[in-house]
Amino acid sequence: MRVMNIEGIITWLLKIVLSPQVFAPIVFPGLLTALMVLLIIIWAERKIAARVQMRVGPLYVTRRLGGVLQMLADGARYMFQEFIIPDSADKTPFVVAPVMALTLAIVPFAFIPSAPGFVPIKSQYSLPAVLALISTIPLSVMLMGWASNNKFAIQGAVREAFMGLAYEAVVFLSALAMGLLYGTLDLEEAVTKQWLPGLLLNPIAAFTFFVGMVMSAGKLPFDIVEGEQEIVAGPYVEYSGIIFGIGMGLAYLKLYSLTLIYSILFLSGWNPVITPLYSIYPGLAGIFLFIKSFLLMLFIVFLRAVYGRYRLDQALRAGWRVYLPLSLIAVLLSIFLRVVNIV
Amino acid sequence: MSEPIESFGKHLKAIKTGLKYLISPNRITVYYPEEYIELPTGYRGLIRYYPEKCIQCSLCAMICPAGAMKMYRTREDKKGRPGVNYQRCIFCGFCVDICPQNALEMTKVHDVAFKQLEEMIFTPEKFSQEPVSPVVAEGAKKLKTVIDEERGLRHEPA
Repeated sequence: MRVMNIEGIITWLLKIVLSPQVFAPIVFPGLLTALMVLLIIIWAERKIAARVQMRVGPLYVTRRLGGVLQMLADGARYMFQEFIIPDSADKTPFVVAPVMALTLAIVPFAFIPSAPGFVPIKSQYSLPAVLALISTIPLSVMLMGWASNNKFAIQGAVREAFMGLAYEAVVFLSALAMGLLYGTLDLEEAVTKQWLPGLLLNPIAAFTFFVGMVMSAGKLPFDIVEGEQEIVAGPYVEYSGIIFGIGMGLAYLKLYSLTLIYSILFLSGWNPVITPLYSIYPGLAGIFLFIKSFLLMLFIVFLRAVYGRYRLDQALRAGWRVYLPLSLIAVLLSIFLRVVNIV
Repeated sequence: MSEPIESFGKHLKAIKTGLKYLISPNRITVYYPEEYIELPTGYRGLIRYYPEKCIQCSLCAMICPAGAMKMYRTREDKKGRPGVNYQRCIFCGFCVDICPQNALEMTKVHDVAFKQLEEMIFTPEKFSQEPVSPVVAEGAKKLKTVIDEERGLRHEPA
């Protein structure tokens, strides 16, 4: 009787863990996968930049694996570093803002489907919901800058605000273009509507969304919020210890959720579905979605080796004068495609 | 409007160049503590002193522009023998050039670290010992630089 009971509890726990409401945000594509991606992508970024720039890159932490555990070592270092709260800082927001930023960076996974029928919160409006959640991250970054009470931090926060507005308009419009094209704002349905990858259906929207995504994650050439040579770490300048690590990881988390959306909207998501994997467990069928977004992230971090930085005014000019009109054209193109009934 | 289109092509070209180096990397650095590059002849590293050749003329101490070379006199040896203070030495090689007996020589050892400033003062006894590069002592592989027409610099085991 007692053994039965324990078995019952185990199956009950398994059922809870394997339900999409828990598995998706916590295991895949959520928190655990995101942390793994974080560790690997930062290493990959440094290694790729080193390859292109004729260097070796991180190596001596786990030499045989090419230094892949470098970020774990850095993370451990941040973990044990003292967390200093400056006297002049506004203490409550100074502590709360980074935690809020990290939370807001993880919440979007609640709306991102990873396989057909495998989504924690099923909603007709999952696309705008995810984008809205991602666009709240700059608010907490601004709060970080403001609470730090430091010249560099405030300047960085203001830059974040400028960049935030510029790219959000572009990202939202290009996402709207795809929404119009598929006739739905549900991410899951958007995948089923793609008989051709969205990249080929509306290349303009794909391009503007891509640029907006790079801007949003603050990757080069839009690495404006932080800059060692002028405003040091920008809004994160007063932070030390693990919170500084969070500030570093934040951009990558944002990039991860945006690349997932990009793969869903433009690269036909989890298709082709591997049926045996799907029949074992639906969550595993998202493997193609993960591979696509990971490759996309690798390409974005590769851009670091190619580009220098734009100035703030140059990036804003590009954002408002080039990419905003382009994304409007993308919306028009979608409307046209919709009228000729191609999707 | 033509400017953005033109610059788009340039962006693509830049990305193409980056991808080219990503696929076939042209690494110009070496795994230093395990490998080291053979230095060219005439490299000015740490100085070696040969007391048996020295005629104790003290020209080296006189010519030294940094005041690094100094004659160490003892009660028995009134003329003295040279010692060097590497805190001051600028590795100009004047002492080596002026020496009439070639009793001083520039070695290729450059990668030596000192834990204390006092260790950088070399007395004649220490000065007459062969300087040892820690990397070579640990058995690092020696590489030589080869100029490649296509790749630029290349390193081959020497």
